[in-house]
Amino acid sequence: MNYHFGRGRSRLLPYLLLLPGLLFYFVIALGPSLATTVFSFTDATGIKGSKVNWVGLANYKEFLFMGQASIDNLEAVGRTLIFCLLVTSIQFSLGLLVAIILNQKIKGRIVFRTIYFMPVILGAVIQGLIWSLFLFPLGGPMAKLIGLFGMRSEFLGGPPEVAFGWVTAIQIWANMGTTMIIFLAGLQTIPADMYEAAEIDGASPWQVFQNVTWPLLTPSVNTNLTLNIIGSLQAWQLFLILIGYRNKTQVLGYLIYAVGFGQTSGSVTASFRQGYAAAASIVLFVIVLVLGMSANYFLQRRETRILG
Amino acid sequence: MSTITDVKRMDRKPIKWGKILSYIVLIIFAVIYIGPLFFLVNTSLKTMPEFMKNATALTSQFNLDNFAEAWEKANFPQYLLNSLIYTVSATSIYILTAIFVAFPIARGYVKHSGLILSLYVIALFLPPALIPQFQLILNLGLYNNPVGYIMLFLVNPIGIVILVNYVKTVPKELDEAAALDGCGYFQFVTQIVLPLIQPAIATVIVLHAIGIWNEIIAPTIYLTNKDYYPITRGLINFQGVYGSNWPTLAAAVLMLTFPMLVLFLFLQRYIISGLTSGAVKG
Repeated sequence: MNYHFGRGRSRLLPYLLLLPGLLFYFVIALGPSLATTVFSFTDATGIKGSKVNWVGLANYKEFLFMGQASIDNLEAVGRTLIFCLLVTSIQFSLGLLVAIILNQKIKGRIVFRTIYFMPVILGAVIQGLIWSLFLFPLGGPMAKLIGLFGMRSEFLGGPPEVAFGWVTAIQIWANMGTTMIIFLAGLQTIPADMYEAAEIDGASPWQVFQNVTWPLLTPSVNTNLTLNIIGSLQAWQLFLILIGYRNKTQVLGYLIYAVGFGQTSGSVTASFRQGYAAAASIVLFVIVLVLGMSANYFLQRRETRILG
Repeated sequence: MSTITDVKRMDRKPIKWGKILSYIVLIIFAVIYIGPLFFLVNTSLKTMPEFMKNATALTSQFNLDNFAEAWEKANFPQYLLNSLIYTVSATSIYILTAIFVAFPIARGYVKHSGLILSLYVIALFLPPALIPQFQLILNLGLYNNPVGYIMLFLVNPIGIVILVNYVKTVPKELDEAAALDGCGYFQFVTQIVLPLIQPAIATVIVLHAIGIWNEIIAPTIYLTNKDYYPITRGLINFQGVYGSNWPTLAAAVLMLTFPMLVLFLFLQRYIISGLTSGAVKG
Protein backbone atom coordinates (compact mmCIF):
# COMPACT_ATOMS: atom_id res chain seq x y z
CA MET A 1 0.00 0.00 0.00
CA ASN A 2 1.29 3.44 -0.85
CA TYR A 3 2.32 5.32 2.23
CA HIS A 4 2.02 9.07 1.85
CA PHE A 5 3.24 10.42 5.16
CA GLY A 6 6.92 10.82 4.46
CA ARG A 7 9.95 8.68 3.77
CA GLY A 8 13.16 7.69 5.46
CA ARG A 9 13.03 7.85 9.22
CA SER A 10 9.49 9.19 9.37
CA ARG A 11 8.40 6.01 7.53
CA LEU A 12 9.06 4.23 10.82
CA LEU A 13 6.42 6.19 12.69
CA PRO A 14 3.50 3.78 12.05
CA TYR A 15 5.65 0.91 13.32
CA LEU A 16 6.67 2.85 16.38
CA LEU A 17 3.09 3.75 17.27
CA LEU A 18 1.88 0.22 16.58
CA LEU A 19 4.45 -1.27 18.90
CA PRO A 20 2.86 -0.62 22.35
CA GLY A 21 -0.43 -2.27 21.42
CA LEU A 22 1.22 -5.22 19.73
CA LEU A 23 3.63 -5.61 22.63
CA PHE A 24 0.79 -5.74 25.15
CA TYR A 25 -0.91 -8.38 23.06
CA PHE A 26 2.22 -10.53 22.80
CA VAL A 27 3.26 -10.18 26.43
CA ILE A 28 -0.12 -10.38 28.14
CA ALA A 29 -2.18 -12.62 25.87
CA LEU A 30 -0.51 -14.40 22.97
CA GLY A 31 2.77 -15.24 24.75
CA PRO A 32 1.15 -16.63 27.92
CA SER A 33 -1.38 -18.48 25.85
CA LEU A 34 1.34 -20.31 23.91
CA ALA A 35 3.47 -20.71 27.03
CA THR A 36 0.68 -22.80 28.55
CA THR A 37 2.07 -25.69 26.50
CA VAL A 38 5.51 -25.28 28.05
CA PHE A 39 4.14 -24.99 31.58
CA SER A 40 2.14 -28.18 31.10
CA PHE A 41 5.41 -30.14 31.01
CA THR A 42 6.63 -28.73 34.33
CA ASP A 43 5.81 -28.92 38.03
CA ALA A 44 5.43 -25.15 38.38
CA THR A 45 3.64 -23.92 41.49
CA GLY A 46 2.22 -20.55 42.39
CA ILE A 47 5.12 -19.67 44.65
CA LYS A 48 7.41 -16.93 43.54
CA GLY A 49 11.03 -17.99 42.99
CA SER A 50 10.45 -21.70 43.59
CA LYS A 51 12.36 -24.09 41.36
CA VAL A 52 10.53 -25.32 38.29
CA ASN A 53 11.34 -28.81 37.03
CA TRP A 54 10.71 -30.42 33.68
CA VAL A 55 8.44 -33.41 34.21
CA GLY A 56 7.68 -34.42 30.64
CA LEU A 57 4.26 -35.94 30.15
CA ALA A 58 3.71 -36.67 33.85
CA ASN A 59 0.95 -34.07 34.22
CA TYR A 60 -0.96 -35.49 31.27
CA LYS A 61 -0.51 -39.04 32.53
CA GLU A 62 -1.82 -38.02 35.91
CA PHE A 63 -4.71 -36.09 34.41
CA LEU A 64 -5.84 -38.95 32.21
CA PHE A 65 -4.73 -42.25 33.70
CA MET A 66 -4.33 -42.11 37.46
CA GLY A 67 -7.08 -43.65 39.51
CA GLN A 68 -10.01 -41.82 41.01
CA ALA A 69 -8.65 -38.34 40.30
CA SER A 70 -8.49 -39.11 36.57
CA ILE A 71 -12.00 -40.50 36.62
CA ASP A 72 -13.13 -37.24 38.22
CA ASN A 73 -11.21 -35.30 35.57
CA LEU A 74 -12.76 -37.24 32.72
CA GLU A 75 -16.18 -36.77 34.27
CA ALA A 76 -15.49 -33.04 34.30
CA VAL A 77 -14.58 -33.29 30.60
CA GLY A 78 -17.84 -35.13 29.96
CA ARG A 79 -19.79 -32.53 31.93
CA THR A 80 -18.13 -29.76 29.94
CA LEU A 81 -19.29 -31.42 26.73
CA ILE A 82 -22.83 -31.89 28.05
CA PHE A 83 -22.90 -28.27 29.20
CA CYS A 84 -21.71 -27.19 25.76
CA LEU A 85 -24.29 -29.34 23.99
CA LEU A 86 -27.19 -28.16 26.17
CA VAL A 87 -26.25 -24.49 26.18
CA THR A 88 -25.46 -24.35 22.46
CA SER A 89 -28.58 -26.17 21.28
CA ILE A 90 -31.09 -24.55 23.62
CA GLN A 91 -29.64 -21.04 23.44
CA PHE A 92 -29.43 -21.30 19.68
CA SER A 93 -33.04 -22.50 19.30
CA LEU A 94 -34.57 -20.05 21.74
CA GLY A 95 -32.53 -17.16 20.36
CA LEU A 96 -33.67 -18.02 16.85
CA LEU A 97 -37.32 -18.42 17.90
CA VAL A 98 -37.40 -15.08 19.70
CA ALA A 99 -35.55 -13.30 16.89
CA ILE A 100 -38.00 -14.58 14.27
CA ILE A 101 -40.96 -13.50 16.39
CA LEU A 102 -39.44 -10.08 16.98
CA ASN A 103 -38.71 -9.67 13.28
CA GLN A 104 -42.46 -9.48 12.61
CA LYS A 105 -44.62 -6.41 13.08
CA ILE A 106 -44.89 -6.71 16.83
CA LYS A 107 -46.03 -4.00 19.22
CA GLY A 108 -43.30 -3.20 21.72
CA ARG A 109 -40.64 -5.17 19.90
CA ILE A 110 -37.90 -2.81 21.11
CA VAL A 111 -39.09 -3.25 24.69
CA PHE A 112 -39.06 -7.04 24.42
CA ARG A 113 -35.67 -7.00 22.75
CA THR A 114 -34.25 -4.80 25.50
CA ILE A 115 -35.67 -7.04 28.24
CA TYR A 116 -34.15 -10.22 26.80
CA PHE A 117 -30.83 -8.56 26.15
CA MET A 118 -30.59 -6.98 29.61
CA PRO A 119 -28.68 -9.71 31.50
CA VAL A 120 -25.78 -9.40 29.08
CA ILE A 121 -24.70 -6.11 30.63
CA LEU A 122 -25.20 -7.19 34.25
CA GLY A 123 -22.32 -9.65 34.29
CA ALA A 124 -21.96 -13.01 35.99
CA VAL A 125 -21.91 -11.78 39.60
CA ILE A 126 -25.22 -9.92 39.45
CA GLN A 127 -26.81 -12.59 37.24
CA GLY A 128 -25.74 -15.22 39.75
CA LEU A 129 -26.90 -13.37 42.85
CA ILE A 130 -30.27 -12.49 41.33
CA TRP A 131 -30.90 -16.16 40.60
CA SER A 132 -29.58 -17.36 43.94
CA LEU A 133 -32.29 -15.23 45.49
CA PHE A 134 -34.97 -16.33 43.04
CA LEU A 135 -34.11 -19.96 43.82
CA PHE A 136 -34.21 -19.38 47.59
CA PRO A 137 -35.30 -22.85 48.76
CA LEU A 138 -37.24 -21.71 51.86
CA GLY A 139 -40.31 -20.22 50.23
CA GLY A 140 -38.72 -18.35 47.32
CA PRO A 141 -40.72 -17.88 44.12
CA MET A 142 -39.44 -21.00 42.38
CA ALA A 143 -39.92 -23.08 45.52
CA LYS A 144 -43.51 -21.84 45.75
CA LEU A 145 -44.09 -22.52 42.07
CA ILE A 146 -42.99 -26.15 42.14
CA GLY A 147 -44.74 -26.45 45.52
CA LEU A 148 -48.01 -26.00 43.62
CA PHE A 149 -47.25 -29.33 41.99
CA GLY A 150 -46.34 -30.90 45.29
CA MET A 151 -42.62 -30.84 44.56
CA ARG A 152 -39.69 -29.71 46.66
CA SER A 153 -36.17 -28.89 45.67
CA GLU A 154 -33.01 -27.45 47.13
CA PHE A 155 -32.18 -26.13 43.64
CA LEU A 156 -28.54 -24.97 43.72
CA GLY A 157 -27.95 -26.74 47.02
CA GLY A 158 -29.63 -29.94 45.87
CA PRO A 159 -28.19 -33.06 44.21
CA PRO A 160 -25.31 -32.35 41.79
CA GLU A 161 -27.39 -32.98 38.67
CA VAL A 162 -30.07 -30.56 39.83
CA ALA A 163 -27.53 -27.85 40.65
CA PHE A 164 -25.76 -28.43 37.35
CA GLY A 165 -29.07 -28.19 35.49
CA TRP A 166 -29.89 -24.86 37.09
CA VAL A 167 -26.51 -23.39 36.27
CA THR A 168 -27.03 -24.50 32.67
CA ALA A 169 -30.45 -22.85 32.58
CA ILE A 170 -29.12 -19.62 34.06
CA GLN A 171 -26.22 -19.60 31.60
CA ILE A 172 -28.79 -19.77 28.77
CA TRP A 173 -30.96 -17.09 30.41
CA ALA A 174 -27.93 -14.82 30.67
CA ASN A 175 -26.70 -15.19 27.09
CA MET A 176 -29.74 -15.86 24.93
CA GLY A 177 -29.92 -12.11 24.27
CA THR A 178 -26.62 -12.14 22.41
CA THR A 179 -27.73 -15.01 20.17
CA MET A 180 -31.03 -13.23 19.54
CA ILE A 181 -29.32 -9.95 18.62
CA ILE A 182 -27.03 -11.66 16.10
CA PHE A 183 -30.00 -13.47 14.54
CA LEU A 184 -32.02 -10.25 14.39
CA ALA A 185 -29.18 -8.53 12.54
CA GLY A 186 -29.08 -11.46 10.12
CA LEU A 187 -32.85 -11.46 9.62
CA GLN A 188 -32.80 -7.79 8.74
CA THR A 189 -30.46 -8.45 5.83
CA ILE A 190 -33.03 -10.75 4.18
CA PRO A 191 -34.81 -8.66 1.52
CA ALA A 192 -38.55 -8.18 2.12
CA ASP A 193 -39.40 -9.09 -1.48
CA MET A 194 -38.16 -12.63 -0.86
CA TYR A 195 -40.94 -13.02 1.68
CA GLU A 196 -43.46 -11.32 -0.59
CA ALA A 197 -42.56 -13.66 -3.43
CA ALA A 198 -42.98 -16.67 -1.16
CA GLU A 199 -46.34 -15.35 0.03
CA ILE A 200 -47.57 -14.89 -3.54
CA ASP A 201 -46.55 -18.48 -4.25
CA GLY A 202 -48.78 -19.47 -1.35
CA ALA A 203 -46.03 -20.87 0.85
CA SER A 204 -46.94 -21.86 4.40
CA PRO A 205 -45.03 -20.21 7.27
CA TRP A 206 -43.02 -23.39 7.74
CA GLN A 207 -42.13 -23.48 4.03
CA VAL A 208 -41.09 -19.84 4.19
CA PHE A 209 -38.82 -20.61 7.09
CA GLN A 210 -37.39 -23.69 5.42
CA ASN A 211 -36.79 -22.16 2.00
CA VAL A 212 -36.15 -18.49 2.66
CA THR A 213 -35.26 -17.67 6.25
CA TRP A 214 -33.10 -20.63 7.20
CA PRO A 215 -30.81 -20.70 4.13
CA LEU A 216 -30.41 -16.92 3.99
CA LEU A 217 -29.64 -16.82 7.69
CA THR A 218 -26.57 -19.00 7.18
CA PRO A 219 -23.95 -16.37 8.15
CA SER A 220 -25.63 -15.66 11.49
CA VAL A 221 -26.16 -19.36 12.07
CA ASN A 222 -22.43 -19.89 11.63
CA THR A 223 -21.48 -17.02 13.90
CA ASN A 224 -23.87 -18.07 16.64
CA LEU A 225 -22.94 -21.73 16.58
CA THR A 226 -19.21 -20.99 16.63
CA LEU A 227 -19.52 -18.41 19.42
CA ASN A 228 -21.87 -20.59 21.48
CA ILE A 229 -19.73 -23.71 21.20
CA ILE A 230 -16.48 -21.99 22.10
CA GLY A 231 -18.07 -19.74 24.70
CA SER A 232 -19.86 -22.52 26.56
CA LEU A 233 -16.80 -24.79 26.57
CA GLN A 234 -14.84 -22.07 28.36
CA ALA A 235 -17.55 -20.61 30.60
CA TRP A 236 -17.52 -21.35 34.32
CA GLN A 237 -18.10 -18.01 36.08
CA LEU A 238 -21.68 -18.89 36.94
CA PHE A 239 -20.56 -22.18 38.50
CA LEU A 240 -18.20 -20.19 40.72
CA ILE A 241 -20.89 -17.78 41.84
CA LEU A 242 -23.93 -20.06 42.02
CA ILE A 243 -22.59 -23.28 43.55
CA GLY A 244 -18.86 -22.99 44.16
CA TYR A 245 -16.49 -25.89 43.62
CA ARG A 246 -18.74 -28.84 44.30
CA ASN A 247 -18.06 -32.47 43.58
CA LYS A 248 -19.88 -33.85 40.51
CA THR A 249 -20.69 -30.40 39.19
CA GLN A 250 -17.31 -29.10 37.98
CA VAL A 251 -16.60 -28.29 34.38
CA LEU A 252 -13.10 -28.22 32.96
CA GLY A 253 -12.62 -24.45 33.15
CA TYR A 254 -13.41 -24.44 36.85
CA LEU A 255 -11.21 -27.46 37.45
CA ILE A 256 -8.25 -25.65 35.88
CA TYR A 257 -8.80 -22.71 38.17
CA ALA A 258 -9.26 -24.88 41.23
CA VAL A 259 -6.09 -26.95 40.80
CA GLY A 260 -4.08 -23.93 39.70
CA PHE A 261 -5.14 -21.54 42.41
CA GLY A 262 -6.74 -23.57 45.16
CA GLN A 263 -10.46 -23.77 45.66
CA THR A 264 -10.67 -20.72 47.81
CA SER A 265 -9.37 -17.45 46.56
CA GLY A 266 -6.64 -15.69 48.42
CA SER A 267 -3.16 -16.39 49.62
CA VAL A 268 -0.74 -18.37 47.52
CA THR A 269 0.03 -21.76 49.02
CA ALA A 270 2.20 -24.72 48.09
CA SER A 271 -0.75 -26.75 46.91
CA PHE A 272 -1.13 -24.61 43.83
CA ARG A 273 -0.26 -27.04 41.06
CA GLN A 274 0.06 -24.78 38.09
CA GLY A 275 1.94 -27.18 35.83
CA TYR A 276 -0.88 -29.67 36.26
CA ALA A 277 -3.46 -26.91 35.70
CA ALA A 278 -1.63 -25.94 32.50
CA ALA A 279 -1.92 -29.53 31.27
CA ALA A 280 -5.66 -29.40 31.98
CA SER A 281 -5.77 -26.11 30.05
CA ILE A 282 -4.24 -27.84 27.04
CA VAL A 283 -6.86 -30.58 27.27
CA LEU A 284 -9.55 -27.88 27.19
CA PHE A 285 -7.76 -26.15 24.32
CA VAL A 286 -7.72 -29.36 22.28
CA ILE A 287 -11.46 -29.82 22.87
CA VAL A 288 -12.17 -26.21 21.86
CA LEU A 289 -9.97 -26.55 18.81
CA VAL A 290 -11.42 -29.85 17.63
CA LEU A 291 -15.06 -28.90 18.21
CA GLY A 292 -14.65 -25.27 17.12
CA MET A 293 -12.66 -26.06 14.01
CA SER A 294 -14.78 -28.98 12.86
CA ALA A 295 -17.96 -26.98 13.43
CA ASN A 296 -16.40 -24.17 11.44
CA TYR A 297 -15.37 -26.56 8.67
CA PHE A 298 -18.83 -28.05 8.28
CA LEU A 299 -20.54 -24.69 8.54
CA GLN A 300 -18.30 -23.21 5.85
CA ARG A 301 -18.98 -26.14 3.53
CA ARG A 302 -22.68 -25.79 4.14
CA GLU A 303 -22.45 -22.06 3.44
CA THR A 304 -20.75 -22.60 0.07
CA ARG A 305 -23.34 -25.20 -0.81
CA ILE A 306 -26.27 -22.93 0.02
CA LEU A 307 -25.06 -19.46 -0.84
CA GLY A 308 -22.47 -20.39 -3.46
CA MET B 1 -70.36 -9.53 -7.05
CA SER B 2 -67.96 -12.10 -5.79
CA THR B 3 -65.07 -9.64 -5.83
CA ILE B 4 -66.98 -7.29 -3.59
CA THR B 5 -67.65 -9.94 -0.99
CA ASP B 6 -64.00 -10.92 -1.17
CA VAL B 7 -62.97 -7.39 -0.38
CA LYS B 8 -65.44 -7.27 2.48
CA ARG B 9 -64.10 -10.49 3.87
CA MET B 10 -60.58 -9.07 3.84
CA ASP B 11 -61.80 -5.94 5.61
CA ARG B 12 -63.01 -8.01 8.50
CA LYS B 13 -59.62 -9.05 9.76
CA PRO B 14 -59.41 -12.73 10.55
CA ILE B 15 -58.07 -13.56 13.98
CA LYS B 16 -54.35 -14.03 13.52
CA TRP B 17 -53.55 -17.01 15.69
CA GLY B 18 -49.89 -16.79 14.74
CA LYS B 19 -49.67 -13.26 16.12
CA ILE B 20 -51.43 -14.21 19.33
CA LEU B 21 -49.12 -17.16 19.81
CA SER B 22 -46.17 -14.84 19.19
CA TYR B 23 -47.28 -12.48 21.93
CA ILE B 24 -47.85 -15.35 24.33
CA VAL B 25 -44.30 -16.60 23.76
CA LEU B 26 -42.87 -13.10 24.14
CA ILE B 27 -44.73 -12.49 27.38
CA ILE B 28 -43.68 -15.82 28.88
CA PHE B 29 -40.06 -14.98 28.12
CA ALA B 30 -40.48 -11.46 29.47
CA VAL B 31 -41.77 -12.90 32.77
CA ILE B 32 -38.74 -15.21 32.98
CA TYR B 33 -36.45 -12.22 32.45
CA ILE B 34 -38.23 -9.66 34.61
CA GLY B 35 -39.44 -12.01 37.35
CA PRO B 36 -36.09 -12.49 39.12
CA LEU B 37 -35.43 -8.73 38.96
CA PHE B 38 -38.86 -7.94 40.37
CA PHE B 39 -38.29 -10.38 43.22
CA LEU B 40 -34.95 -8.70 43.91
CA VAL B 41 -36.63 -5.30 44.27
CA ASN B 42 -39.41 -6.73 46.40
CA THR B 43 -36.97 -8.48 48.74
CA SER B 44 -34.77 -5.42 49.11
CA LEU B 45 -37.68 -3.45 50.54
CA LYS B 46 -38.53 -6.04 53.20
CA THR B 47 -37.30 -6.56 56.72
CA MET B 48 -35.64 -9.86 57.56
CA PRO B 49 -38.54 -11.19 59.71
CA GLU B 50 -40.97 -10.25 56.97
CA PHE B 51 -38.85 -12.10 54.41
CA MET B 52 -38.57 -15.22 56.54
CA LYS B 53 -42.28 -15.25 57.25
CA ASN B 54 -43.27 -15.14 53.59
CA ALA B 55 -40.55 -14.60 51.04
CA THR B 56 -42.80 -14.09 48.04
CA ALA B 57 -45.45 -11.83 49.56
CA LEU B 58 -45.45 -8.28 48.27
CA THR B 59 -43.66 -5.92 50.59
CA SER B 60 -46.01 -4.11 52.94
CA GLN B 61 -43.74 -1.13 53.40
CA PHE B 62 -41.29 1.02 51.55
CA ASN B 63 -38.38 0.24 53.82
CA LEU B 64 -35.06 1.72 52.67
CA ASP B 65 -33.06 0.65 55.73
CA ASN B 66 -31.53 -2.25 53.82
CA PHE B 67 -29.97 0.13 51.36
CA ALA B 68 -28.45 2.30 54.04
CA GLU B 69 -27.15 -0.76 55.84
CA ALA B 70 -25.69 -2.36 52.72
CA TRP B 71 -24.04 0.87 51.61
CA GLU B 72 -22.45 1.32 55.00
CA LYS B 73 -21.39 -2.25 55.73
CA ALA B 74 -20.33 -3.34 52.28
CA ASN B 75 -17.64 -0.70 51.83
CA PHE B 76 -19.20 0.15 48.47
CA PRO B 77 -17.69 3.62 47.98
CA GLN B 78 -14.19 2.15 48.10
CA TYR B 79 -15.00 -0.79 45.82
CA LEU B 80 -16.83 1.41 43.33
CA LEU B 81 -13.90 3.78 43.19
CA ASN B 82 -11.54 0.86 42.58
CA SER B 83 -13.72 -0.50 39.78
CA LEU B 84 -13.90 2.93 38.25
CA ILE B 85 -10.12 3.38 38.36
CA TYR B 86 -9.46 -0.04 36.84
CA THR B 87 -12.07 0.36 34.13
CA VAL B 88 -11.20 3.90 33.08
CA SER B 89 -7.43 3.53 33.11
CA ALA B 90 -7.28 0.15 31.37
CA THR B 91 -9.87 1.15 28.78
CA SER B 92 -8.13 4.45 27.95
CA ILE B 93 -4.73 2.86 27.52
CA TYR B 94 -6.22 0.04 25.51
CA ILE B 95 -8.19 2.18 23.09
CA LEU B 96 -5.27 4.56 22.47
CA THR B 97 -2.92 1.74 21.60
CA ALA B 98 -5.62 -0.16 19.71
CA ILE B 99 -6.24 2.69 17.28
CA PHE B 100 -2.58 2.78 16.33
CA VAL B 101 -2.62 -0.97 15.82
CA ALA B 102 -5.82 -1.09 13.82
CA PHE B 103 -5.24 1.84 11.47
CA PRO B 104 -1.92 0.79 9.87
CA ILE B 105 -3.11 -2.83 9.67
CA ALA B 106 -6.28 -1.83 7.86
CA ARG B 107 -4.29 0.35 5.46
CA GLY B 108 -1.38 -2.02 5.00
CA TYR B 109 1.03 0.70 6.15
CA VAL B 110 3.10 -1.84 8.07
CA LYS B 111 4.66 -5.00 6.66
CA HIS B 112 2.80 -8.28 7.21
CA SER B 113 -0.46 -6.50 8.06
CA GLY B 114 -2.46 -9.57 7.11
CA LEU B 115 -0.38 -11.79 9.37
CA ILE B 116 -0.71 -9.42 12.33
CA LEU B 117 -4.47 -9.27 11.84
CA SER B 118 -4.76 -13.05 11.77
CA LEU B 119 -2.83 -13.21 15.06
CA TYR B 120 -5.73 -11.27 16.55
CA VAL B 121 -8.40 -13.29 14.79
CA ILE B 122 -7.11 -16.65 16.09
CA ALA B 123 -7.21 -15.39 19.70
CA LEU B 124 -10.64 -16.96 20.12
CA PHE B 125 -9.19 -20.44 19.63
CA LEU B 126 -6.00 -20.14 21.70
CA PRO B 127 -5.39 -22.08 24.93
CA PRO B 128 -6.41 -20.33 28.17
CA ALA B 129 -3.54 -18.03 29.18
CA LEU B 130 -4.48 -18.23 32.87
CA ILE B 131 -1.44 -20.02 34.29
CA PRO B 132 1.47 -18.36 32.45
CA GLN B 133 -0.23 -14.99 32.85
CA PHE B 134 -0.28 -15.52 36.59
CA GLN B 135 3.39 -16.56 36.57
CA LEU B 136 4.23 -13.43 34.61
CA ILE B 137 2.44 -11.08 36.99
CA LEU B 138 3.84 -12.93 40.00
CA ASN B 139 7.43 -12.72 38.77
CA LEU B 140 7.08 -9.08 37.83
CA GLY B 141 6.17 -8.49 41.48
CA LEU B 142 2.75 -7.23 40.45
CA TYR B 143 0.63 -9.82 42.25
CA ASN B 144 -1.95 -8.20 44.51
CA ASN B 145 -1.09 -4.89 42.91
CA PRO B 146 -3.50 -2.56 41.10
CA VAL B 147 -0.95 -1.92 38.33
CA GLY B 148 -0.60 -5.62 37.63
CA TYR B 149 -4.36 -5.95 37.69
CA ILE B 150 -4.83 -3.14 35.16
CA MET B 151 -2.16 -4.68 32.92
CA LEU B 152 -4.36 -7.73 32.42
CA PHE B 153 -6.93 -5.62 30.63
CA LEU B 154 -4.77 -3.85 28.07
CA VAL B 155 -5.67 -6.44 25.45
CA ASN B 156 -8.86 -7.13 23.52
CA PRO B 157 -8.42 -8.88 20.16
CA ILE B 158 -12.06 -8.56 19.09
CA GLY B 159 -11.82 -4.79 19.53
CA ILE B 160 -8.92 -4.67 17.07
CA VAL B 161 -10.90 -6.66 14.52
CA ILE B 162 -13.90 -4.33 14.87
CA LEU B 163 -11.69 -1.25 14.45
CA VAL B 164 -9.87 -2.68 11.42
CA ASN B 165 -13.15 -3.45 9.70
CA TYR B 166 -14.39 0.06 10.34
CA VAL B 167 -11.22 1.82 9.21
CA LYS B 168 -11.61 0.01 5.89
CA THR B 169 -14.79 1.99 5.26
CA VAL B 170 -12.85 5.27 5.41
CA PRO B 171 -11.80 6.19 1.84
CA LYS B 172 -8.06 5.82 1.20
CA GLU B 173 -7.96 8.95 -0.93
CA LEU B 174 -8.27 10.90 2.28
CA ASP B 175 -4.79 9.79 3.36
CA GLU B 176 -3.20 11.02 0.18
CA ALA B 177 -5.03 14.35 0.22
CA ALA B 178 -4.13 15.00 3.85
CA ALA B 179 -0.50 14.09 3.25
CA LEU B 180 -0.36 16.46 0.29
CA ASP B 181 -1.60 19.20 2.60
CA GLY B 182 1.38 18.48 4.82
CA CYS B 183 -0.47 16.54 7.48
CA GLY B 184 1.76 14.12 9.40
CA TYR B 185 0.91 10.51 10.29
CA PHE B 186 0.23 11.08 13.97
CA GLN B 187 -1.80 14.18 13.29
CA PHE B 188 -3.75 12.42 10.55
CA VAL B 189 -4.72 9.48 12.77
CA THR B 190 -5.63 11.56 15.81
CA GLN B 191 -7.36 14.47 14.10
CA ILE B 192 -8.90 13.07 10.94
CA VAL B 193 -9.29 9.28 11.26
CA LEU B 194 -10.34 9.35 14.92
CA PRO B 195 -13.50 11.43 14.43
CA LEU B 196 -14.42 9.38 11.36
CA ILE B 197 -14.27 6.04 13.15
CA GLN B 198 -15.96 7.32 16.31
CA PRO B 199 -18.90 4.86 16.19
CA ALA B 200 -16.52 1.90 16.15
CA ILE B 201 -14.40 3.43 18.90
CA ALA B 202 -17.48 3.96 21.07
CA THR B 203 -18.52 0.35 20.51
CA VAL B 204 -15.11 -1.03 21.43
CA ILE B 205 -14.84 1.20 24.51
CA VAL B 206 -18.26 0.11 25.76
CA LEU B 207 -17.59 -3.60 25.18
CA HIS B 208 -14.16 -3.44 26.80
CA ALA B 209 -15.27 -1.35 29.78
CA ILE B 210 -18.23 -3.61 30.56
CA GLY B 211 -15.92 -6.62 30.45
CA ILE B 212 -13.58 -5.08 33.02
CA TRP B 213 -16.39 -3.80 35.23
CA ASN B 214 -18.04 -7.24 35.40
CA GLU B 215 -14.86 -9.29 35.71
CA ILE B 216 -14.86 -11.66 38.65
CA ILE B 217 -12.23 -14.31 37.94
CA ALA B 218 -9.24 -11.98 37.63
CA PRO B 219 -9.88 -10.17 40.93
CA THR B 220 -10.40 -13.53 42.63
CA ILE B 221 -7.01 -14.69 41.40
CA TYR B 222 -4.93 -11.53 41.52
CA LEU B 223 -6.20 -9.36 44.36
CA THR B 224 -6.07 -10.52 47.97
CA ASN B 225 -6.06 -7.15 49.67
CA LYS B 226 -9.60 -5.95 50.32
CA ASP B 227 -8.54 -2.37 49.71
CA TYR B 228 -7.98 -3.28 46.05
CA TYR B 229 -11.20 -5.20 45.45
CA PRO B 230 -13.37 -4.09 42.56
CA ILE B 231 -17.10 -3.99 43.15
CA THR B 232 -17.74 -7.51 41.83
CA ARG B 233 -15.33 -9.07 44.29
CA GLY B 234 -16.64 -6.77 47.01
CA LEU B 235 -20.16 -7.96 46.37
CA ILE B 236 -19.13 -11.62 46.60
CA ASN B 237 -17.32 -10.78 49.80
CA PHE B 238 -20.45 -9.10 51.16
CA GLN B 239 -22.44 -12.20 50.22
CA GLY B 240 -19.99 -14.28 52.25
CA VAL B 241 -20.77 -12.21 55.34
CA TYR B 242 -24.42 -11.36 54.73
CA GLY B 243 -25.37 -14.42 52.70
CA SER B 244 -28.27 -15.36 54.94
CA ASN B 245 -29.64 -11.84 55.23
CA TRP B 246 -31.30 -11.70 51.84
CA PRO B 247 -33.07 -8.34 52.21
CA THR B 248 -29.77 -6.53 52.84
CA LEU B 249 -27.94 -8.54 50.19
CA ALA B 250 -30.75 -7.86 47.71
CA ALA B 251 -30.43 -4.14 48.42
CA ALA B 252 -26.70 -4.37 47.76
CA VAL B 253 -27.23 -6.22 44.49
CA LEU B 254 -29.95 -3.81 43.42
CA MET B 255 -27.76 -0.78 44.08
CA LEU B 256 -25.32 -2.16 41.54
CA THR B 257 -27.92 -3.46 39.13
CA PHE B 258 -29.89 -0.27 38.79
CA PRO B 259 -27.10 2.01 37.48
CA MET B 260 -26.05 -0.72 35.07
CA LEU B 261 -29.58 -0.96 33.70
CA VAL B 262 -29.83 2.79 33.23
CA LEU B 263 -26.46 2.84 31.54
CA PHE B 264 -27.57 -0.09 29.42
CA LEU B 265 -30.50 1.85 27.98
CA PHE B 266 -28.07 4.48 26.73
CA LEU B 267 -25.28 2.17 25.59
CA GLN B 268 -27.41 -0.60 24.13
CA ARG B 269 -26.87 0.34 20.51
CA TYR B 270 -23.08 0.35 20.91
CA ILE B 271 -23.12 -3.10 22.46
CA ILE B 272 -25.43 -4.38 19.76
CA SER B 273 -23.31 -2.99 16.95
CA GLY B 274 -20.23 -4.51 18.54
CA LEU B 275 -21.83 -7.94 18.77
CA THR B 276 -23.24 -7.88 15.28
CA SER B 277 -20.38 -6.23 13.41
CA GLY B 278 -18.74 -9.54 12.60
CA ALA B 279 -21.96 -11.50 12.45
CA VAL B 280 -23.67 -10.45 9.26
CA LYS B 281 -20.56 -10.87 7.21
CA GLY B 282 -19.90 -14.27 8.75
